[in-house]
Amino acid sequence: MRFAEFTPFDLVLLAQGLGVTIGLFLVTSLIGLLVGVLWGVVRFYRVPILMQLVTFVSEILKNSPVLVQLFLVFFGFPAFFHLNVTPVQAAIVTLSANTAAFVYVIAVSSIESIGRDQIEAARVFGLSRWQVLRLVIAPQAAAFSIGPLTALLVNQLQVTSLISVIGVMDLAKIGATLNLRTLKPFVVWTAVGILYYLTAKLVATLGARLERRLRAHSAFRCL
Amino acid sequence: MLKVENVKKAFGPATVLDGVDLTVNPGEVVSILGSSGSGKSTLIRCINGLEKLDAGRITVDDFDVSRPKELAEARKRSGTVFQLFNLYPHLTALHNITLAPIEVLKRSRAEAEAEGRALLASVGMGDRADAYPAQLSGGQRQRVGICRALAMKPRYLLLDEVTSALDPEMTAEVLAILARLAASGTTMVFVTHEIEFARQISHRIVFLEKGVLLVDLPTKQFFSADGGLAQPRVAQFLSKMRKD
Ligand SMILES: Nc1ncnc2c1ncn2[C@@H]1O[C@H](COP(=O)(O)OP(=O)(O)O)[C@@H](O)[C@H]1O
Ligand SMILES: [Mg+2]
Repeated sequence: MRFAEFTPFDLVLLAQGLGVTIGLFLVTSLIGLLVGVLWGVVRFYRVPILMQLVTFVSEILKNSPVLVQLFLVFFGFPAFFHLNVTPVQAAIVTLSANTAAFVYVIAVSSIESIGRDQIEAARVFGLSRWQVLRLVIAPQAAAFSIGPLTALLVNQLQVTSLISVIGVMDLAKIGATLNLRTLKPFVVWTAVGILYYLTAKLVATLGARLERRLRAHSAFRCL
Repeated sequence: MLKVENVKKAFGPATVLDGVDLTVNPGEVVSILGSSGSGKSTLIRCINGLEKLDAGRITVDDFDVSRPKELAEARKRSGTVFQLFNLYPHLTALHNITLAPIEVLKRSRAEAEAEGRALLASVGMGDRADAYPAQLSGGQRQRVGICRALAMKPRYLLLDEVTSALDPEMTAEVLAILARLAASGTTMVFVTHEIEFARQISHRIVFLEKGVLLVDLPTKQFFSADGGLAQPRVAQFLSKMRKD
């Protein structure tokens, strides 16, 4: 195997990198969605202290670079607390928390977009706060938030490429490796870019389809 | 019996209800008149527990709305129809009606839907059960709003200017339904600007002015020269409303 040439095995490497990227993306998106929505519920119930804490944490996560958060989780905390953190663990923690912070914002604004009047009606007819959240607010907030959530996830997919700098073998890191070996940056980064693009497109398409489905049942299609 | 005793309510420095007393007996239709801003909506919102009282007491069949444990029972006994309908936009007309019976009264879905369809048919909307609120006219939405309240089989129906967002034609179709309900013995607390209609269906009329119940009289007396009209504010209000 000559050093500077591409080999068929490089395709396998790329596929592996793509797999790592998609896997981390899915795991951190799922955790981020769950945590972010949970934070939104904390805010809906106005849980004292917890609510302020959530707002504070989300503010910090939104307003500092993901790269800095990643370094803090991978280098900073382990050094300070004498922990052992693998690159993948650091990546999962950082990306999940970051997604959660933005999901929280979307959850809060979607919940607030639901008119007070229907919530009052539901309360007057005896529905509990939880029933109102589950049966009146959630279905409408979900339809409302799918658009912004899709945009967020497409962006978070690109953000995963940052984790290559702490040594996670994701698509970007494989790209960097192949580039070093072949010294053909144009070919390598074009291929890597296309793979990111196709994955993002897939996420956007699935989001749009889900949105259409959620809104089909409700007639507020801008009538 | 629905009892409002010496109820006071202020928003910040503004006193909106200033010692209101009102009793509504089962079977009675009581209309509340008063100019805009006099506190009519606030009174309704105090009765159905949407506003906290600053002082006084409201009981619905002896359940005190200010006690969290009794509020649920009080709310089961009163049904509210709102000025702006307040329907759930993501649910069909039928499901707007069946949501609370299923979730709160724990009725079976089949039973609740059969009753919901019957209610819709009774207001001439049997064919619109599966329409969403956005696909309905204002008058149709308010008819759904009335069915939604009736589906809970309330002892007291609270209606807050339920036709003031509707044009005359739609107003007529909604009033026709209310007239029928009144005739069939439904207890109603009816906030309205439809003076003539109130006169036809009410047993009693009360007049609210700046948070004070100035007048509380049987309908006939309310409109007589030595009854309600003896109050300058009432006479003024009625003549102004008739001109509009
Ligand atoms: N949530 C609120 N906050 C502050 N002021 C309010 C609120 N609700 C009502 N008010 C005020 O209370 C007064 C009475 O309002 P309302 O009960 O709606 O009168 P009506 O229904 O007779 O027109 C008005 O001056 C209104 O501005
Ligand atoms: Mg009002």
